[in-house]
Amino acid sequence: MAIANESHQEEHNMQEHHGAGRYVVIWVVLLVLTLVTVFTGRMHLPDFGLLLALVIASVKGTLVALYFMHLSEHRGANRLVFGVSIVFVVLLIGFTLMDFGTRFRLANPPGSQYSDLQAVDIGANPAEGRTGGHQQQIKQQHETHE
Amino acid sequence: MSSAHVTPGTVPGPKLAAHFASLEVQKHAARLGMWLFLATEILLFAGLFACYASYRFLFPEAWAASSRSLDLTMGTINTVVLITSSFTAAMAVHYAKEGKNKMVGHMFVLTLLMAIGFLVIKFFEYKHKFHIGTLPGRYYFYEGIQLPGAPLYFTVYFASTALHALHVVIGMTVLAFSTVRAYRVGDFNANNYTAVELGSMYWHLVDLVWIFLFPMLYLV
Repeated sequence: MAIANESHQEEHNMQEHHGAGRYVVIWVVLLVLTLVTVFTGRMHLPDFGLLLALVIASVKGTLVALYFMHLSEHRGANRLVFGVSIVFVVLLIGFTLMDFGTRFRLANPPGSQYSDLQAVDIGANPAEGRTGGHQQQIKQQHETHE
Repeated sequence: MSSAHVTPGTVPGPKLAAHFASLEVQKHAARLGMWLFLATEILLFAGLFACYASYRFLFPEAWAASSRSLDLTMGTINTVVLITSSFTAAMAVHYAKEGKNKMVGHMFVLTLLMAIGFLVIKFFEYKHKFHIGTLPGRYYFYEGIQLPGAPLYFTVYFASTALHALHVVIGMTVLAFSTVRAYRVGDFNANNYTAVELGSMYWHLVDLVWIFLFPMLYLV
């Protein structure tokens, strides 16, 4: 009875009572990592800034899942479910970006980094075309309100 | 099932449903069900993360400029508040296992207060954005950033933070039920803490999502 064994193991792990110290340590580490990511984020590192921020966030997320959510004490099925959901997140974002990264240039939205066109080139109102917002009309309404 | 009554000397536990082999299996099933639900929640937010990744890839300049227009101090305070509320939620599980129901209630009240604090700070951030015009799509009227893609950044910003705030409210409701039960009934103990544990897991998920949203929106 593999399932019963797994339940027994999990119950045993959960029953084993740890001191509150463990939660305090994780909490302090999470706060320190928050300060680190704010500090490195403000430096506006050119190339690896995003990567570093995502690595720090992943470490924080792993700590929350393992210790606050007790995944470190869970076995088999629970870990599988969580792991598979993360794999699917990576697949979703990875394949979306691969699509954008390999597109025929004209297939990208006008105004974007990988397009030779601006929004006005495909018939957008010049006032709206620069951002996509209705800045002219709304600005006037805004001014008459004040 | 006649085994529902509590014999003196044993720790009272939850009722065992007839279709489970033992209480251990029943608790395991509850946890597994919660993890399955949380997996769907993770994938719900992953859709928004994919939007963020796509438009950031297409409009890097608008993304950098818009991200800098956010209030980093408020974002950082909110991150600290949410991480601390996650810590108190974890402490509630700790006390529930020891059968200290008063402390479970106190910890959840602290969590709920920090959740309200989070929403209040978020409200002021939103209010500022409505005032200066960094709004989604066609409602954008901010003069400071005139780049293609800037309104898209705020579409992603509002969609993801609003969905997250909705989860904060749902999490508060779930925790409020456990809080009332801890104070009024006080039946949480080493055998019976599933409600506290699963409610707290939901709250950690809310924290987990914010841990990723914060650097994505405010920092990079």
